[in-house]
Amino acid sequence: MATSSAYPPPPPFYRLYKDYEQDPSSAPEPPPPIDGKYTVFGAEHEINQVLPSLESQGVRQLYPKGPNIDFKKELRTLNRELQLHILELADILVERPSQYARRVEDISLIFQNLHHLLNSLRPHQARATLIHMLESQIQRRKQAIEDIKQRREEAQKLLGESLLVLDGSQTN
Amino acid sequence: MDIITQLQEQLSEIAMVAVNTFGTLQRDAPPDRLSSSYPDPLNPNPKPEEDAKPQVPAQPGAAPAPAQAQPPAPPQPPALDLAEHPKAMSHALVLAAKKFDALVAALPLSSEDDQLRRIQELQAENEVVGLELQKQLEAAELELKQVEVLFNEATDNCINLKKPD
Repeated sequence: MATSSAYPPPPPFYRLYKDYEQDPSSAPEPPPPIDGKYTVFGAEHEINQVLPSLESQGVRQLYPKGPNIDFKKELRTLNRELQLHILELADILVERPSQYARRVEDISLIFQNLHHLLNSLRPHQARATLIHMLESQIQRRKQAIEDIKQRREEAQKLLGESLLVLDGSQTN
Repeated sequence: MDIITQLQEQLSEIAMVAVNTFGTLQRDAPPDRLSSSYPDPLNPNPKPEEDAKPQVPAQPGAAPAPAQAQPPAPPQPPALDLAEHPKAMSHALVLAAKKFDALVAALPLSSEDDQLRRIQELQAENEVVGLELQKQLEAAELELKQVEVLFNEATDNCINLKKPD
């Protein structure tokens, strides 16, 4: 696995920043953001993580392929199939108990397909979360604008009043 | 918990109910009679049949005599479990499946293009609102500085005009 020691010393780059206070350009810029593959603790990761398809994991895909999958319909269909297979398993155990293996395999295949469908809904959820965050940020900013406007008006009003008071006391 | 996680948990629940159903049924099943040459495991000591063998329910008076000649009945609790357990567990399985369907129906799905369009709209609006906020903030800070300057002048004048006692 990792060939470095368990507690490695910090990287030696701090020496390059000795004169940063006097001359910021003498020290190197921070490294740009990584793109593509990167290695962390000896394991390789991708920047853009994509859900691997079922075929690449050697699992048969039961729902139809295509660009636009009707998730609700497929999930419901697979649920019905699952119930049917469980009933079939019960029957097989009564009639021919030695042939349970095929049925159990079918049931686990259905479960894998169901989980894969749910996992492929996650990017959609991520976008929905982003939309929600943007909406709440816009809401907060609008609220802040209103608050600032209100305070400025109050301040102007107070200044105007104090001016009247001062003028009044001056004329007196 | 978000709805996709709930759906995943519901799937695990269905699997668990199914596994428990088959497990308990297999564990608690009474032994089965393999062939007529072996003794019946449910009925190990059958007494020889008598005339009163068919126990007629319309003759309660004759009930005690044939009851004694009857072999000991199997203990009551397993017979109840065998009938009630599958019903309760299949009920649980169907409930779990129905809950899954209900959760699927509650999924707020929309197409990817719709989402991307909405994100772009929101980003544009965010920019506009951000600029407005910055403008207001700068104006407010300017006014704050002016007021501070005036306040300092006023307090200086107050101190200078105040006659020492």
